[in-house]
Amino acid sequence: MNLIKLFILMVPFYLFLTGCYDKTELEYQAYVVALGVDKGEGDNTFKFTYQIANPETGTAIGGGSSNEPASEIITVEGNDFLTATTTANASVSKKMTLDHTKVLVVSEEVARSDNFLGLMQTASRTTQIRRQVQIIVSKENARDFIKDNKPQLETRPHKYYQLMLERSTETGIVPESDIHRFFQLTEGDADLFLAMYTTATVEKTKNNGTEDEYKAGEIPKKGGNPAEFMGSAVFKEGKMIDVLDGQNTRLALIMDNTLEIDDLLSTYQDPVKEDYKIAGDFSKKSPTKVKIDYRKDVKTTIDVTVPFSFEVLAIPSLVPYSQDEKLREKLKASIEKSLEKKANKLIEKAQKEYGSDPFYWSLYIRNEFASIPDYEKADWNKKIWPNAEVNVDFQMSRLEFGKMVNDSQLNEVRD
Amino acid sequence: MKPDKTLKTREMFAIVALFIGVKLSDTTATLYSQKVQNGFWLSVVVSLIIALPSFFILLHLLKLFKDKNLVELLEILLGKFIGKVVGFTIFLTSFGLLVLDSRNYVEEVKLLYFPESPTTSLYFIFIIVCILTAKRGLESIGSTSWIVLPFIKISMFLLAFLILKEIVWLRIFPIFGNGLDVVLTEGINKASIFSEFILLTIAYTSFRDTKFFRRGSYIGSSVVSLELVFFFLLYALVFDYNSIEKVAYPYHEVTQYVNLGNFFTNVETFFMVFWLSAAFLRFIIYLYLVAMVFGAVFNIKEHESLLLPLGLLTVSSGLLVENTVINELVYREKLLMYSTPLYVLLPYLLWIIKRLRRDLK
Amino acid sequence: MLRFLKNNLKNSSKEDNEKYPSIAKNLDKNVKQLNKMFSSDKNSDFASREFVAQYSNNKINIFYYSTIVNGDKLYTGIIQPLLENVGETLKNVVTLEAIEELSTYEDVIEHINSGYVIIFEDTLDKAFAIDVAQFQHRGIEKSQNESVIKGPKEAFTEALGVNVSLLRKRFHDKQLINESLKVGERSKLEVNLLYVEDLVNNDVLKDVKKRINDIKSDNVRNVEMLEQFLEERPYSIVPSILYTERPDKAATYIEDGYIVILMDNSSACLIVPINFWAFFQSPEDRYLRFLYGNFTRLIRFIAFFITVFISAIYIGVTNYHSEMIPPDLLLAITAARERVPFPLVFEVLLMEIAFELIREAGIRIPNPLGPTIGIVGALILGQAAVDANIISPIVVIIVALSGLTSFAVSDVSMNYSVRLSKYIFITASAWFGMFSLTGAFIVWISYLSSLKSFGVPFFSPVTPTYKSPGNNLFRKALKNEIWRPGNIKPKDIKKKQTE
Repeated sequence: MNLIKLFILMVPFYLFLTGCYDKTELEYQAYVVALGVDKGEGDNTFKFTYQIANPETGTAIGGGSSNEPASEIITVEGNDFLTATTTANASVSKKMTLDHTKVLVVSEEVARSDNFLGLMQTASRTTQIRRQVQIIVSKENARDFIKDNKPQLETRPHKYYQLMLERSTETGIVPESDIHRFFQLTEGDADLFLAMYTTATVEKTKNNGTEDEYKAGEIPKKGGNPAEFMGSAVFKEGKMIDVLDGQNTRLALIMDNTLEIDDLLSTYQDPVKEDYKIAGDFSKKSPTKVKIDYRKDVKTTIDVTVPFSFEVLAIPSLVPYSQDEKLREKLKASIEKSLEKKANKLIEKAQKEYGSDPFYWSLYIRNEFASIPDYEKADWNKKIWPNAEVNVDFQMSRLEFGKMVNDSQLNEVRD
Repeated sequence: MKPDKTLKTREMFAIVALFIGVKLSDTTATLYSQKVQNGFWLSVVVSLIIALPSFFILLHLLKLFKDKNLVELLEILLGKFIGKVVGFTIFLTSFGLLVLDSRNYVEEVKLLYFPESPTTSLYFIFIIVCILTAKRGLESIGSTSWIVLPFIKISMFLLAFLILKEIVWLRIFPIFGNGLDVVLTEGINKASIFSEFILLTIAYTSFRDTKFFRRGSYIGSSVVSLELVFFFLLYALVFDYNSIEKVAYPYHEVTQYVNLGNFFTNVETFFMVFWLSAAFLRFIIYLYLVAMVFGAVFNIKEHESLLLPLGLLTVSSGLLVENTVINELVYREKLLMYSTPLYVLLPYLLWIIKRLRRDLK
Repeated sequence: MLRFLKNNLKNSSKEDNEKYPSIAKNLDKNVKQLNKMFSSDKNSDFASREFVAQYSNNKINIFYYSTIVNGDKLYTGIIQPLLENVGETLKNVVTLEAIEELSTYEDVIEHINSGYVIIFEDTLDKAFAIDVAQFQHRGIEKSQNESVIKGPKEAFTEALGVNVSLLRKRFHDKQLINESLKVGERSKLEVNLLYVEDLVNNDVLKDVKKRINDIKSDNVRNVEMLEQFLEERPYSIVPSILYTERPDKAATYIEDGYIVILMDNSSACLIVPINFWAFFQSPEDRYLRFLYGNFTRLIRFIAFFITVFISAIYIGVTNYHSEMIPPDLLLAITAARERVPFPLVFEVLLMEIAFELIREAGIRIPNPLGPTIGIVGALILGQAAVDANIISPIVVIIVALSGLTSFAVSDVSMNYSVRLSKYIFITASAWFGMFSLTGAFIVWISYLSSLKSFGVPFFSPVTPTYKSPGNNLFRKALKNEIWRPGNIKPKDIKKKQTE
């Protein structure tokens, strides 16, 4: 009996000796904030760029030297995210952890290649890369983007990415594109995945666009950070096929019920004085209604109704819309029409060019099928969507004019 | 009223809620989703429809024979020898499941949170905690369960609440996943996942009054069933039909995905703590019940002294299995499939024998 | 072997008792015997006086300790009447209240020790004992360790009679029994059990009495020591008897059917049986209005959890689960730790022990030096250690928080068990992070739930469930307290008559 007791007493001691396997002190770890992927030298290798946050920047305690840069950027060639960190350790003194990675920057070159899906599969196997990491497609090399991206207000890169992504997805000029959604859409084998599109090198600017008719790199601006988030990269079956500009991205987001868009300020043509534009706040209070009428071997009709309300923010033409019932009707009709026109154009492009939809509408046809094999046989991408008849109807339920009843008449003022 | 039997309805409820309820967060979901894909929550409903009535019949039988536990009931109805043999079979299958299941949990902890630690150490700690706690007796287990239960449930529903904004309801379609036939066969085959209900009845006489056991079982099993179906449905809605079969640990995958606002983005460890307490308690209860069955079959009064050898045996046999995938998809699935008829049909069989015997009289 | 020795000892002490002869009729013999027993030639405050009683013309000798009797009372109540009054018997002559007749020397010794005057009269083979005791003690003062803002301020004092009076003042019931027992082999001290006869559970009462009678120690000086003789698990990490210096708290428990144990020489009482929740309750919770009282309860439980877990969680999270910390905080902690030479566990332990040192020094330090401890503690250990890069500032915050919150657990014993538990959890989480911490927590909880205080489960009435006033983690509105705590099985469970 005593021997057994002794043995039992020994077990904890044995275990004490075995502890501490996964123990790592905080300062022995390097926190990767952004991950970049570029095409490597070999056929199936990639160049991985790690942006490592420097903890001593921007903290009051410790009083470290403030001249150190906010982050260290290192690029190594490798096969996948994790093994490449070991290579990177050749020059980084700490253990690299990807737990706090906020973004995965993929160069357009890699995104358009066939290897991209395979690379993403490796990401899903490890627990370190979270499902909420956002995929960003950069026009240039991911390394260049990360290197050139020098925000002025946020010295610490993780804060910059957090705030930047939050704000730009709120306005809808880029879609929310986390890894989780990438897998759902890609593995679902229907619909298109939209990823944020970005660049830090401005090549040529486009001067005649309105506030959102740009793709990243086209925005005429001066000063500030060279990095721009605008538009979206379109992925079909795990491979990038096209780029949508900000406006089309916004439209796609409006019509997709699974994504949110909070802050949609934009301008529309003034229906009375056509040289002017009217600015307003578009808001979608209830979800888009998608009704799919599917019958086997007959052309599918898809009826889409987008209910929205509109708050006028600026009428530079000074047309008294708020006073006149008829003018109001006219404005309403014109906004609805312009939205429908744009939407139809996008849908047409999606049907003809992409052969799939960026709105996640395949969801609405699923209830027609009892089982997955039936559903897969019906084939949304190849059979249903390209041949479907899509009717889009934007319905303005409310038109508001802000807190001013009327604009002051410029002519009278100048008298 | 016996002074040392203090357990009442709420402790029984807590025991059921933890013992069975933790299934929503382990690989059970994966087991179902392999073939049924997004319709797997319906398979669970099928399994429950099959498993629960037999549990209720058993409860009914136990009510007729007052103050008898499972093994004693078997012995009365089937005769001493056959009763013991059946009891021993129950012990063997449950012990087998205990071994495979515990290995599974430990592997899960290792994979997700302690990738560099050896399984042996984690497994030893796990079982030692289970033995130490189980040794304190069923009263203490019941009380501990009741105290820890609110925290676990709150964390689970917090998770459900957080994930609600990430789900897409339309992913519920196609409603039958891979087809109605698959839903039904999978549901029937895996009904023994809920065999643990039967195992619980070994503790039938350990409550202040047997009515508390019954009441706790009814409330517990209905709440747990709802919870399971609800969470499995959530998994189906979060991961679409193609991803759900690839995800090994849906609960943990979900905890990794959600965030509490912008500030707390990686909150999986928070949920892990509560999940782990639930897992500990599940195996504490499991180990205790298995020891009780063994004690009842071999007439060992001090079944608490069996905990240590049984626990150590669990570790040593659990470590024999090579890796989790084999453990999960081969051994556990087979064992579950083979033991289904035993657990599902046994109560009916007992009931029929009971009827026949009464008619003979 | 040990048992044999013990038996031997027992036997010898018995023989000791039997050595005393019985009281003789001859006064001189008795006087000689008594003087020998009390070593009157050395014992300076042992007094005796001889005179002739007026009523019987017999020689009389009185014995007492001059330091523990009231001299005036002795003179006017005993000596003067004996010298002057006329009457039939001694009892008629002496005007003081109770006169006991003693027939053995053991009783005589005991009574002299308790401040009685013993009267021997020639021709009688018995002695008379009259209570003229006047032990010195403090007056009633404010409660020092369990202070309240709203509520009575009186505290127990080191005199048994005063304490009983404080309790009787609060609970007017003819069924309130003050039962007296003796404890100690050599120095026999009085232990008083106070309970309500028609509420108290007889099994518990019997158990308590048995345990008191079973104490074979020579001397049990006060309730603090009695507590350790009474408890079932002397090595346990948690207490199983409640200790309080507040008569109002004791009175509440008496009302509910608990037993209160009082002794001379202690400005506190013991309450049995007890449960886990009682250690976190202050009488003020019930004096405050419903919401306010529950708010303090909530704060206290949060404090309890912070004390026990914050250091352990900090170690576990930073060493094993750094992904959990929000990036801003993570970088801040990392930056602070870059120049700290110790591992994080060591850093936390260093600071925890430093805090324990401050606390211990704070209790032991002579009063005039009190303020210095604050300066030394705060400045040297906080500021300077951070400036010297020995510890990181966040650890100071963590440890200060856990130290501060530990004061919210006001019960002295529970306070220690909470602090000791803290170290268990720190060790656990340093070992396998949250995994072993959770395991330790489960073991800890199950240990607590398996404990019993005089047969009452520690977590009752919450689990196992009983009818109760609902005064556990939170409390109900007073008018909703219908039941007495069912976990102690009182004779009458209904507290409020509802018709």
